[in-house]
Amino acid sequence: MSAEHGITINHVSRSFKGRGAVVQALSDVSLACPEGSFTALIGPSGCGKSTILRLALGLDAPDTGDVMISGMTPFKAARSGKTGVAFQDAALMPWRTVEDNIMLPLDVLGHKRADYLAEVAKLVDLVGLNGFEKALPGELSGGMRQRAAIARALITRPEILFLDEPFGALDQILRRQMNIELQRIWMESRATTLLVTHGIDEAIFLADRVVVMQSKPGRISRVIDVPFDRPRKPALFSDPRFHALEKEIAEALDGQ
Amino acid sequence: MASNRTAPERSDALSPIRKLLHSSTLRNWLLLLIIWEIIGQLRLVADGALPAPSAILARLWVDWSDYPPHILATLEGASAGFLIGNALAIAAGVLFAIFPITQRLARGVNVALFALPPIAVSPILVITFSGMTPRIILAAIACYFVTMSATVTGIQQTDRRIVDVVRAYGGRQWKTLVHAQMRSAIPSILAGLRIAAPNAVLGSILAEFGGGGRYGLGVYLIGSLGRGEPDRLWGIGLSATVIAGLAYLLFSLLATRLTGASKAVTVPASPPATKAEKNPLVEAALITVSFALPFLLWGLLLSIMGTPAMIAKTPLGVFDYLFMMPNSPASLGKLAMALSETLPMTMIGMAMGLFFAFALALCSVLYPAIIRGFMPVALVTQTMPLVALTPLLVLILGRGPSVILWITVSVTFFPAFVTMAQGLSMVSRAAIEVPKAYGAGPVKQLWLVSIPASLPYLFAATRLAVPRALLGVMIAEWLATGKGLGNLLNQSRGYLDYGMIWSVAVVSVLISVLFYQIVVAIEHRVLTKRGMAPAQ
Ligand SMILES: Nc1ncnc2c1ncn2[C@@H]1O[C@H](COP(=O)(O)OP(=O)(O)OP(=O)(O)O)[C@@H](O)[C@H]1O
Ligand SMILES: [Mg+2]
Repeated sequence: MSAEHGITINHVSRSFKGRGAVVQALSDVSLACPEGSFTALIGPSGCGKSTILRLALGLDAPDTGDVMISGMTPFKAARSGKTGVAFQDAALMPWRTVEDNIMLPLDVLGHKRADYLAEVAKLVDLVGLNGFEKALPGELSGGMRQRAAIARALITRPEILFLDEPFGALDQILRRQMNIELQRIWMESRATTLLVTHGIDEAIFLADRVVVMQSKPGRISRVIDVPFDRPRKPALFSDPRFHALEKEIAEALDGQ
Repeated sequence: MASNRTAPERSDALSPIRKLLHSSTLRNWLLLLIIWEIIGQLRLVADGALPAPSAILARLWVDWSDYPPHILATLEGASAGFLIGNALAIAAGVLFAIFPITQRLARGVNVALFALPPIAVSPILVITFSGMTPRIILAAIACYFVTMSATVTGIQQTDRRIVDVVRAYGGRQWKTLVHAQMRSAIPSILAGLRIAAPNAVLGSILAEFGGGGRYGLGVYLIGSLGRGEPDRLWGIGLSATVIAGLAYLLFSLLATRLTGASKAVTVPASPPATKAEKNPLVEAALITVSFALPFLLWGLLLSIMGTPAMIAKTPLGVFDYLFMMPNSPASLGKLAMALSETLPMTMIGMAMGLFFAFALALCSVLYPAIIRGFMPVALVTQTMPLVALTPLLVLILGRGPSVILWITVSVTFFPAFVTMAQGLSMVSRAAIEVPKAYGAGPVKQLWLVSIPASLPYLFAATRLAVPRALLGVMIAEWLATGKGLGNLLNQSRGYLDYGMIWSVAVVSVLISVLFYQIVVAIEHRVLTKRGMAPAQ
């Protein structure tokens, strides 16, 4: 366990000036995700989850405090291609085919597409988009777009993976399937993963630790360890210990 | 600003054309044509000033051998100007979008280029340059503003989420531009080019009005004006319209071919960028520079070209001419006299054009059938070099003051109507249906929803109408009435009074810019008070 290679968030605060009012999106948030860990971030809408991700990606800068990714600034880490990201909404380019969208990070990072063709095929298969490689995002359903965005997040074989409610638009069954797939991918790659989710069950099933946040101001209120061994099986969803943990997190979310 | 007409149609570039071919519309057009034919045959308008379509076609057939050199010359000026103007416009748009401060610095230049009445600068261009150059420059200027603002809007409206994806992989300005912004600005740029294309034709023709050169449709038109042959004039006007219309069509087709797949798949929800605190000192400096820049560029350009000071007046030269010379008082007097004739006409004509447009646009909300019948006609006029057709109006209406009003109303009415009608049609059904659900009658609905909602479009239309109105008045004065700034310009051309030519040009650009700024200021106050954003 070495913080050098994971995600380190140090006393970060960030506020936004809206028209007149000031929104304290994050207030003194500290979080360390060790290398190879899987952390789930859960909290009410507007508590600053996406803001944490944006800070960690270098898309935004904190007012105070600092964020380190693999011992580098977020921007350097992003530029070196160590990070992968799937945003809350798929954010596909409407003019690129599914395949081209998946390969976008390669274009930005200046990697050769030819070296990744097999990887693209594998990922398309993984997210179940076979036959839609040449389709444009406008021709896909919301869930299919989200899956394309997940494939895009994985194309660079990232060491650090940020997922912002990646399964939000999927139905329950597909969501479970994708949870299982994600666990498999994660166990293979051991990428340090930060997953934002609204699903308590999803958080427990996937993560080593569940970080519970509260809003106004956005802050971390509890960190709950998830003790289950891996690989976790679907049967876990109906385990009594699972339910107990679900209850604990739900209570933490309620502010108890 | 001028791109307000591009945005609403972006999704369906060919819709005006499709509407044109709609059966009931086709019937209306046929009807119009038949009425026109009857009026022409019976010589009902001004003793044959409006010839029958058949007569125009027959004349066109007879004159046909005269046309090719004129058409080619106009096309040459227009297309060279189109290429140069748009290349500059896109480059400037990219620069402005990436470094917003440059846009604020260049605001003076941009507004001046938008607001300048082409007819006022055409004599200057003709005396300072030679050959095709004046036409190319005016055609380029006619394209610049539309395409520049379309580029800026297109780039700025890039889905923030897409930009974030590129930036999340370490992409900065350049990569974002290449992978996200330029591509997503293409539909907007194409919509701009679609309007720029007929504009270029118009620009070239207006430069031809200013003289210099034996060929060009504008030259042909002016040359035929004195001979009192309405059917020939109409033939020339129609050819110009067809050329401009074809240019519009070409880019409409291109736009639909290229942009089918570019619609965003979901509505972006990224928050608006928060405004930075303004430093009053920096603001003042920016405004000063933006105001001074057009004058600096003007002086700089002339000194680079090395045109003799006798002919090419720098800002200082114009100042000398108007205030320091022995006969300055006389010149100033002439100028003031001309202004006092031109200004009232411009304002009255503009007010009337806007009023009719607003009234008709509101009617079209109450009676949607009107818009269905009339919109295609109005849309066609967008592609017409309407201003270039003013000689035809002179022919019909004679040389009295009424011709000025007619011309001004006709050049302001159509674009204003299209802007307002399209804006009103975007007012959401739901917003109208709320008062309806409470039993509000049509007038009440107008008062509660449509009129307040249409304010941004009314202002956008007014901004658009300002330079057009002045242009319309000046052309009418130049060609017909022998009064006002337009006439002074034409006379000074004859007397080789270079100082006056420059002074009239400068004064008319300044007036146009001043009007424009007044509209923008009022717009800003009214709309911010109501929490509305200006219509682009
Ligand atoms: N660019 C911005 N400008 C102004 N306010 C912002 C901006 N970004 C975020 N906020 C505010 O910060 C707070 C946290 O936003 P954030 O998007 O991080 O919430 P979230 O936890 O991801 O919510 P959700 O679960 O709904 O996605 C919100 O109150 C939001 O309004
Ligand atoms: Mg979020």
